[in-house]
Amino acid sequence: MRSLGHATSWMPLLLAAFLAAPASADSRTSDSRASKSSAGNNDHTAFFKDHVRPLLTKHCLKCHGHGKTEGGLDLTSRASLLKGGDYGPAIDLENVEESPLLEAINYDGLEMPPTGKLPKSKIDVLTKWAKRGAPWGPNDEPIAAEHEEAGPPAVNDENRKFWSFQPVKRPDVPEVGNPAWIKNPIDAFVLANLESAGLEPNPRAEKLTLLRRATYDLTGLPPTPKEIDEFLADTEPGAYERLVDRLLQSPHYGERWGRHWLDLVRYAETNSFERDGAKPHVWRYRDYVINSFGDDKPYDQFIREQLAGDEIEGRTAEQLIATGYFRIGLWDDEPADRLMAEFDELDDYVRTTGEVFLGLRIGCARCHDHKLDPVPQADYYRMLAFFRGIRHYGVRSPESVAAASLRSIATPEQQASHEKVIADWRGKIDDAKAQMKAIEDSVKDDFIPVEHEEFRHEQSRVSILKKRVPKKLPQENFDRYVALGKRIKHLERHRPQPLHLALCVTEVGPKPATTHVLGRGNPHSPSEEVSPGFPSILGVPDPTIPIAGNDAPTSGRRTVLADWIASEENPLTARVMANRVWQHHFGRGIVASPNDFGMAGLKPTHPELLDWLASEFVQMGWRLKPLHRLIMTSNTYQMSSRANPKALAADPDNETFWRFNMRRLGAEELRDSILSVIGSLNPKMGGPSIYSFIQDEVLQGQSLPGEGWGKSPPAEQNRRSVYIHVKRSLITPILASFDVADVDSSCPVRFETTQPTQCLATLNSEFLHERAKRFAEYLTKQAGDDPKSQVELALLRTLQRPATEAEIARGVKLINELMADDGATPEQALAYFCLVTLNLNEFLYLD
Amino acid sequence: MMKKQTPSNSPLDKGEQLESTLDKGEHSNSAGTSHFVAGRPECGRTRREFFWQTGAGFTSVALAGMLGKDFLARQAVAADGVTPYKYVNPLAPKEPHYPGKAKSVIFLFMYGGPSHIDTFDYKPDLVGMDNKTVKVRTFGRGGHKNEGRIVEPRWKFKRHGESGQWVSELFPHLATCVDDIAFLKSMTADSPIHGSAMLQMNSGRILSGSPALGSWVNYGLGSENENLPGFVVMLDPRGGPISGAKNWSCGFMPASYQATVMRAKGSPILNLKPPTEMTPAMQRRVLDSLRDYNVEHQGPRIDNSVLAARIANYELAYKMQSAAPEAVDLNQESEETKRLYGLDDERSEVFGRQCLMARRLVERGVRFIQLYSGGNHFLSTWDAHGDLVKNHNLHSGETDKPIAGLLKDLKRRGLLEETLVVWGGEFGRQPTAEYAKGTGRDHNAYGFTMWMAGGGIKGGQSVGRTDELGSAAVERRLHVKHLHATILHQLGLDPNALTYFYAGLDQKLVGVEGAEPIAELIS
Repeated sequence: MRSLGHATSWMPLLLAAFLAAPASADSRTSDSRASKSSAGNNDHTAFFKDHVRPLLTKHCLKCHGHGKTEGGLDLTSRASLLKGGDYGPAIDLENVEESPLLEAINYDGLEMPPTGKLPKSKIDVLTKWAKRGAPWGPNDEPIAAEHEEAGPPAVNDENRKFWSFQPVKRPDVPEVGNPAWIKNPIDAFVLANLESAGLEPNPRAEKLTLLRRATYDLTGLPPTPKEIDEFLADTEPGAYERLVDRLLQSPHYGERWGRHWLDLVRYAETNSFERDGAKPHVWRYRDYVINSFGDDKPYDQFIREQLAGDEIEGRTAEQLIATGYFRIGLWDDEPADRLMAEFDELDDYVRTTGEVFLGLRIGCARCHDHKLDPVPQADYYRMLAFFRGIRHYGVRSPESVAAASLRSIATPEQQASHEKVIADWRGKIDDAKAQMKAIEDSVKDDFIPVEHEEFRHEQSRVSILKKRVPKKLPQENFDRYVALGKRIKHLERHRPQPLHLALCVTEVGPKPATTHVLGRGNPHSPSEEVSPGFPSILGVPDPTIPIAGNDAPTSGRRTVLADWIASEENPLTARVMANRVWQHHFGRGIVASPNDFGMAGLKPTHPELLDWLASEFVQMGWRLKPLHRLIMTSNTYQMSSRANPKALAADPDNETFWRFNMRRLGAEELRDSILSVIGSLNPKMGGPSIYSFIQDEVLQGQSLPGEGWGKSPPAEQNRRSVYIHVKRSLITPILASFDVADVDSSCPVRFETTQPTQCLATLNSEFLHERAKRFAEYLTKQAGDDPKSQVELALLRTLQRPATEAEIARGVKLINELMADDGATPEQALAYFCLVTLNLNEFLYLD
Repeated sequence: MMKKQTPSNSPLDKGEQLESTLDKGEHSNSAGTSHFVAGRPECGRTRREFFWQTGAGFTSVALAGMLGKDFLARQAVAADGVTPYKYVNPLAPKEPHYPGKAKSVIFLFMYGGPSHIDTFDYKPDLVGMDNKTVKVRTFGRGGHKNEGRIVEPRWKFKRHGESGQWVSELFPHLATCVDDIAFLKSMTADSPIHGSAMLQMNSGRILSGSPALGSWVNYGLGSENENLPGFVVMLDPRGGPISGAKNWSCGFMPASYQATVMRAKGSPILNLKPPTEMTPAMQRRVLDSLRDYNVEHQGPRIDNSVLAARIANYELAYKMQSAAPEAVDLNQESEETKRLYGLDDERSEVFGRQCLMARRLVERGVRFIQLYSGGNHFLSTWDAHGDLVKNHNLHSGETDKPIAGLLKDLKRRGLLEETLVVWGGEFGRQPTAEYAKGTGRDHNAYGFTMWMAGGGIKGGQSVGRTDELGSAAVERRLHVKHLHATILHQLGLDPNALTYFYAGLDQKLVGVEGAEPIAELIS
């Protein structure tokens, strides 16, 4: 059946609003025009211009015109149209109905456009046009390319001048009108900017506001009553600086800042897709990150370890674990197109590495040249070539994952003890086999020739032996034979697993497969070959990759990449990281698009400050802790968050940093704070992840409810949220509700949504009600039975400041009324007051 | 029912000021102030969108960035009638790109993949061919094959309705509705594996991380009822589908657009009710005290509209506690209606209840509702690898009457015209057997059937065709993206212009290359 006939049964009218206006107008006007006997060239020209040309431009010329002539067909001019392509003239003026173009748009054999059949009205326009002999515009002028100027930015000297592609230059610290305000150079940069905008910086925040701000920023936890007391008691100069120093030494610092990094590297502990299977030993990478921040590992080293820790000479266990960076992404264990899945995995490396370390969205050039940045498609594949030798995460089975992505990190002692366990295990198998062989040998003489043949196959053996029972083979020997067979099977299934394994990168060997540019990103259509290289816009010569020995485990390419990224000369690396540090202190980066420092990203609001910070960061040995100290001891960081009408009117978005930005606690901070203020937080660090409590209603959403979600003991459940198992298809509800990072790709900035379902969760959930009860018990234990003392302590813990008399009175009133008017028990009433405190905006928001 | 919104001239309206501030941005796109602009160049974006994408600053800032001027000036009063707030609800109703025929979508997801040649795609050539070996290219979980043993369709087909559509005896009730139904008989998908195929049907992509169709719809149109979620999913009580929540995830969009799972029994929404020992009076008292604290805290921070939004959200949540149970309270339905949905039959009672709930939610302005027939694995889903007859008799028996009842009930209430009903699984099944013995069929993404009804769809027709065996679509091949494009189009959203800036790209549900709606369906 021809689909053209099919098409005639369509409803003639389409939603007018849906149609491109020219097409809908056409069905009425063109007919009347055609009926005019004098319908001359002008009408035809207008018809082409108004109705046909827009259709060709929108639906056809992308592939059959400017720059591309797929199938040899160029539809930009009447001449090339009539000349045609592989299928002959696109419009056959002798036999219009059979024109390839008409067949194609009717999906009769050919199917064009490939994105979907055109609506009938548009097909009608083109049909009518063809029947009229394909009239063209004046002088058959070719259709000009639209938006030629909007093509991808080129790699040229002009674009090389773009700010982030230029080397970091340490700027001079600016002069300001009010030098008294300057604590350190950061303040000078910020104040100079404010002064030129005619604004003044906000006054300093109150002491306890600063305590709260600094404690959360560096640890993700609220200050304790003891810490409040101590800070208030310290009235000597430098109290605040001492606070910052103390917090930087806190073990919780690594948990807080490690979590920021985990957001960036799309950290999760399962593979997503149908089985969403757990990644073995993945938590070691999480601990590696936390410890690296805690130890203030230089950032350049941190980069080298994650990208190429396995290639470091004499690498440590930690450095191997660091390469788990490559293994924490999505993995489809049953892909429809295996080759495509392999390149999806490589794409994940290119994309994530580009965004996280360089702030460049190189991933945008997978299918075509980057449309907004001077990153040609070849650059994407040159970057991909650095990763080309990496073995894929696995091929379907857990064994394949172990083979490709797990390596031992055992110490010699651990290795020796493991080898002993293995030897014992093997001994047991060998022993059982020997016993079986003895039994076999006792009857082999009885075999007929074909049985000798069959006996080679393990599955035949039992039946062959059984025939000899009991005459040649006593029943008990046969039974023992069967039992031994089962024992061996059992032992083989339970091979002792080494405990000390790292989920890490491995390569195919010294010589990776060749890398090609892939047409439209399709791995089935490789074109020119490329070798490893850096983004050409940065003007760095192509690297020379040292030739790896024949028995080398890897190509060594990643080390070359890591060295370039981690070098002081790289214009992006230090800027990008300094910006991230700023972002997590101030609520937004100096570049507000932290994963995009390219032309599509936002420009820095304070470019000189950013360069100064970047250069200072490198000078301080790429260490973060001195950078935190520098930032946090500035007056800029210590400003109040309150509004002042003038500045609010002039700069409502606080682009100039005239005040400190208020912020809501993040998902983990909220959960951890609840556990902390009620006195339940278990501060234990590290180790395999824990399972938080998840309601059955939520587990019911899994195809196998409860699958892959265990039950941790209560004390373990009270650990910090960074230790909760991150299962891609089952995110702990309270974290999901409060905007935890998306786990499938790099998350540079979290959302901060405000929605009623959050209130349902914190008002009604079992988790909150149970915590409120614990809180009430804690208060009773700490403050006795007096409601006033209980309320006072509850507010001190949740607000981290002494409550006012009115606030205390309001709480006591609530407790009394709940008991007197609503029949609540004293325990209940106190618990409900506790519930109120855990829902306070002041608990959830930082000034 | 909702939204008291009046224009605001308040100097504190951050949105307005943001608008002017951002217009100075160098990257500002002169083409438009929001996402809702057709024909924007690929990868183009405004600075405003960046704020949205990066989530920087306060929510209202982000929202102001996304929603454009129309939504900036809105002002609402919280449910307690006391608290004014200027926070912009991300689910506030938005103007579509053009007037849409449909207001709501009910997506009946037949999880596991129903066999098209046993249900709607009549293949007379297969009759009498049982057990014959044929050359046919197939691709399922068992890999690529070039020949197979035919499993003759196990149910008889008849033409139905004035339009004479073919329906097998699996669906006697649905067969009476075919003049309202458009069958898409040449559907194709990119993967014949459940995990990735489910993701594609739900989010357009075979990789996880992208927003579900329901998230896109709520992002594009907002919700008509602020007391109910805009995107509701109801699961088969036997379990969720493979990949669980990934199927209704909002992916890279903010949590405001994520689905809410609703249950037919017990509390319909998670955390909707406090534990029983907390009486309504106690809860009200707790809320009043909480508000007093929060209002006092807000005093010196009045410029931060998110604080006010949170205060108001407690009242919204409070109202939701009664609105949601009311919405799904089937006691308000007549016995006749309940029978129409098959609630009087044990087999169809569960799905019938969900279909009836779906109608009630549509009446209350819920934008997108997805029901799953089938959950867990194997026999509990349409995934008929084993006994085809047992499997499809079970699942059609559970759903036939409820779905027919839903279509008829919507129609007689005048709701069918504005409610788009979509039926189908993640793929279809092969005409040949999966194993040496038995009737089990493996997955088939080369060709399968879905159908749409209502919402302005022209019913009583079949679009496209598979080959004589039903192994692959051969005429008017349709892809999942065309289905998605049609759904968006019927809602008044241009599938090629509904974009969300993320990771350096204007993301679209229908993919970067775009897709046109299925023209034949549009009446």
